[in-house]
Amino acid sequence: MITVGLLLGLALGAVALAAPRFGLVSLWWKFRANRERARSEDALKHILAWQHRSKLASLESLAGALRLSAPATLRLATRMEQSGWVRSKSEGIALTRSGEQRALQVVRAHRLWERHLSDDANMPMARLHQAAENAEHTLTRDEVERLDAHLGHPQHDPHGDPIPGADGRLASIDAVSLTEWPVGKPALIAHIEDEPDPVFQQVLAAGLRPAQVIQVLETGPERLVVSVEGSECRIDPAVAANVQVSVASAADLPPPDAVRLSNLPQGACGEVVELGPACVGFSRRRLLDLGLTPGARVEVALETAFGDPRAFRIRGTTVALRGQQAEQIWVRPLAEPSATEVGS
Amino acid sequence: MIAPDCGACPEHAQLASMGVDIGHCDHIVALAGNPNTGKSSVFNALTGLRQHVGNWTGKTVTRAEGAFAFGGKRFKLVDLPGTYSLLSASQDEEISRNFLLFGQPDCTVVVTDATALERNLNLVLQVLEVTDHAVVCVNLMDEAARKGLDVDVRSLSRDLGVPVVPTVARRKQGMRDLVSTVADVVSGETKTAPLRVEPPSKVSEAIGNLVPLIEDLAPGVPNARWIALRLLDGDHRVREALLSGELAEMASRQRQPAISRPSRLTAISGNL
Amino acid sequence: MPHSAQSIIDLSDQLRRDLGGGFRDRMVTAVYEHAQELVSRSVHETGAKKWDFDQRIDRLLTSRWLGLPLMLLLLGLVFWVTIQAANVPSQMLANAFFAFESAAAGMFESLGAPWWLTGLVWHGVFRGLAWVVSVMLPPMAVFFPAFTILEDLGYLPRVAFNLDWLFRKAGAHGKQALTMAMGFGCNAAGITSTRIIDSPRERLIAILTNNFVPCNGRFPTLIMLAVIFVAAAFPPALASIIAASAVVTVVLLGIGFTLLVSWALSRTVLAGEASAFTLELPPYRRPSVLRILYTSLIDRTIFVLGRAMLTAAPAGAVIWILANVQAGGQSLAAHAIELLGPTGEAIGLDGVILLAYIIAIPANEIVVPTMLMCYLGASMMMDVAAYDQIQAVLVDQHGWTMLTAVNLMLFSLLHNPCATTILTIWKETRSVKWTALGGLMPLAIAFAVCFLSAQAGRLLL
Repeated sequence: MITVGLLLGLALGAVALAAPRFGLVSLWWKFRANRERARSEDALKHILAWQHRSKLASLESLAGALRLSAPATLRLATRMEQSGWVRSKSEGIALTRSGEQRALQVVRAHRLWERHLSDDANMPMARLHQAAENAEHTLTRDEVERLDAHLGHPQHDPHGDPIPGADGRLASIDAVSLTEWPVGKPALIAHIEDEPDPVFQQVLAAGLRPAQVIQVLETGPERLVVSVEGSECRIDPAVAANVQVSVASAADLPPPDAVRLSNLPQGACGEVVELGPACVGFSRRRLLDLGLTPGARVEVALETAFGDPRAFRIRGTTVALRGQQAEQIWVRPLAEPSATEVGS
Repeated sequence: MIAPDCGACPEHAQLASMGVDIGHCDHIVALAGNPNTGKSSVFNALTGLRQHVGNWTGKTVTRAEGAFAFGGKRFKLVDLPGTYSLLSASQDEEISRNFLLFGQPDCTVVVTDATALERNLNLVLQVLEVTDHAVVCVNLMDEAARKGLDVDVRSLSRDLGVPVVPTVARRKQGMRDLVSTVADVVSGETKTAPLRVEPPSKVSEAIGNLVPLIEDLAPGVPNARWIALRLLDGDHRVREALLSGELAEMASRQRQPAISRPSRLTAISGNL
Repeated sequence: MPHSAQSIIDLSDQLRRDLGGGFRDRMVTAVYEHAQELVSRSVHETGAKKWDFDQRIDRLLTSRWLGLPLMLLLLGLVFWVTIQAANVPSQMLANAFFAFESAAAGMFESLGAPWWLTGLVWHGVFRGLAWVVSVMLPPMAVFFPAFTILEDLGYLPRVAFNLDWLFRKAGAHGKQALTMAMGFGCNAAGITSTRIIDSPRERLIAILTNNFVPCNGRFPTLIMLAVIFVAAAFPPALASIIAASAVVTVVLLGIGFTLLVSWALSRTVLAGEASAFTLELPPYRRPSVLRILYTSLIDRTIFVLGRAMLTAAPAGAVIWILANVQAGGQSLAAHAIELLGPTGEAIGLDGVILLAYIIAIPANEIVVPTMLMCYLGASMMMDVAAYDQIQAVLVDQHGWTMLTAVNLMLFSLLHNPCATTILTIWKETRSVKWTALGGLMPLAIAFAVCFLSAQAGRLLL
């Protein structure tokens, strides 16, 4: 009896160890391969980041960034050199052409994934980076391309950084720090640096978001006063240094004599002027499909007990939208109620 | 090429692989439409209790199919998910789009709400870009009358270039008309010349560059313009179909099965 | 050929870059402008416009002050009608079934069948089935059509509209209210209906919390408890209204838990803020009677009842075996009840109720029948059909108090979903992790809430 049990146990153990897909051995190999991929991709990103700052990464900087021991870093660098991704020079480690392409693809996966988490799952800005940091190493090239198409080929990630193209070309950003921006001139927020985290949280708390148009009202060594969405906020210059701004073009500015649909009172009518630039991805496509295109007539029809959401008459249908979406729709108020609504 | 059971025809090979049981039917009809247009009432009125409900292969989207007979022919009706558009923003839209493009139904019925035609025509115009064989069903005519709206179906039909049938599906009004119109479109008795919206001029130019190339690659493709639009929009599925040769093969199937398929294919591609 | 296809792709990529952003915007705008033109040519206003009911009704049903009270009133009305109309047919069905059971069992015995066969077939399997049919069929046959009328009218999207603000605060989607409404019928159906939510995060929240809406399998338990314990303290004229209010209160509590758990999920495992919400409010339509009867009776009642009967038959056999197989001087059921007793006591219930819930994992409908069969044990002399007889058994013979009833209502509302629902969660998510969470989280919450309520109740009373 005991022998049978023992044999059975041994057999089960062997299966658990050696099963082709879910056996412990195969899982261990998979884990090793994934870790290897993640490490070398992180190393590529690190070297690329240094190159963008016109510096060459070293074994020491690599070990620090990846939190690896010196011998492990050396082994990693050697393997990467054998794969033809990096070249060691006397003053540090440089990317080869294929290494740079590979690094850009990882950056592309990372930024697209952030975009996806932000657009599709509405993940808070503060959590995007870490989540994408894990996902970037697991996506296949094909999955990345699908994601790109699904998101409608976005140009920027949620922080405002450009997303490298499938061909590895990276748009440069022509932006300066908010602290250097002149008073009075409208500025477009091009990028918000997400590290270090406490500073990033302060920027978010101040209500600043990428693609917003802001105006510096007052500048000084102690504080900066900026107007954001019609309200004033004070920020520490050390915090403002993490915000990059560029010149706001006419398209970035809210259209003249237009108001946000959310500000239209109950029963009022308006004509859609445009959908704001912050309305992106699936949400934008859905609003367009429902007929909220420039020139369309909208009437505020219903309001709930809580005041949000409200329902709007659009092209003969009634559609409920939350305040945060109605905010993105710019309309020109119309005087008389629409013809179809007479008599109600 | 004449087979008693059309499941064997190459035209329907794609359908079979998309999970539609096409045994014992002569033609496939797709049912598209916005949500809340009474599309399921039309479906029920046409098929009665001859329905089967399941999921689209590999997707958590419900698929209903049913059958009806007319003029000695058996039609299989596939109910597509209710969508506002075909631009593949959601799973539902992707399924509808893929079915219309790759499933190549013999006719597509687009159900619309007579009280909100403007919104519904958005989908109609998109469907007409994909397929030539379509019938527009203007449903809820009674509701429109209650709201004081008069829909001139003749003028609409003239403008759209496809037959337009008014119905009240809930009371089974106009269903016979709808069925005979579908049968006429399928048999080719009614010729359709669907309206294609002229895009903004810059886009038109870009399309003009792409269309000849697409037609060259897939001769006889009925919707080269739409494919060009989808490529410009970066539609992944359409790109894949172009790269894999699926589109070319589809176009050759659609042209005519008069010449046997293999020779047609070799004539077009040379290397298949 | 692939070469030339690739060149087309490359050209289209190039052209897309040249066209710049906003391609989709321009295309949709062009299509809509065309549609507008077509409509202006083919749709004319006849001027014979009648009263616009839709807008009037909508202004009332979604109004600032009346929207929510009217919603509660409608919900209460549906429950009241169900309670009023279902009680008498339930008793009649039960009487008929049990008369048949004793007659058939007597005949079996006179034909010389062994005692265990008679017991297993008639006092086990048949009794389980009889209980499920008599307890479930009448409320379902009333509730489902009443509910389908509201659905067919187009009222449910208004519910989602009214409640969206609460769901947004909880980081969820307003359409979750629609899926909850489906959950009243059957949680598995409710979970399938979450497909209408586009955002995967919010859809998962809706799937994981659907269980907090009491499904039709749990309503008989709630209704029975409401009638026996809550309404009994009031004059008979008010009894059914009080019972309906008690059920509405439980439902509201369930909505409260849904929002609370959604909020907690949005801040932990499913972190994120509420996404876009677009919901079309379709015009009201006159419901078609035939369709309502078909949908509610064939699609829903027969389906749910059939499923319940499939699980009730083996469960009946299991209970009979547990009650009649002896080991160490007492029945297996007694052993199990003894074992579960302390846990049950701690959460204000008892061993029998917990055993009933374990046996009822395949389908919640059989909880009450199982409980009663366990209480009555092998004696089974009494044909318990009417609510006052059930009360006699529970209160006089087994020491139930108001606290037991309240805790059982809470437990019934919150505990783990039935096996079918768990299977549906797996089918919809294809993930062991979410399925496990969907099963275990409600169970943990049910135990925690009932434990607290029991301790609080004992302190106060």
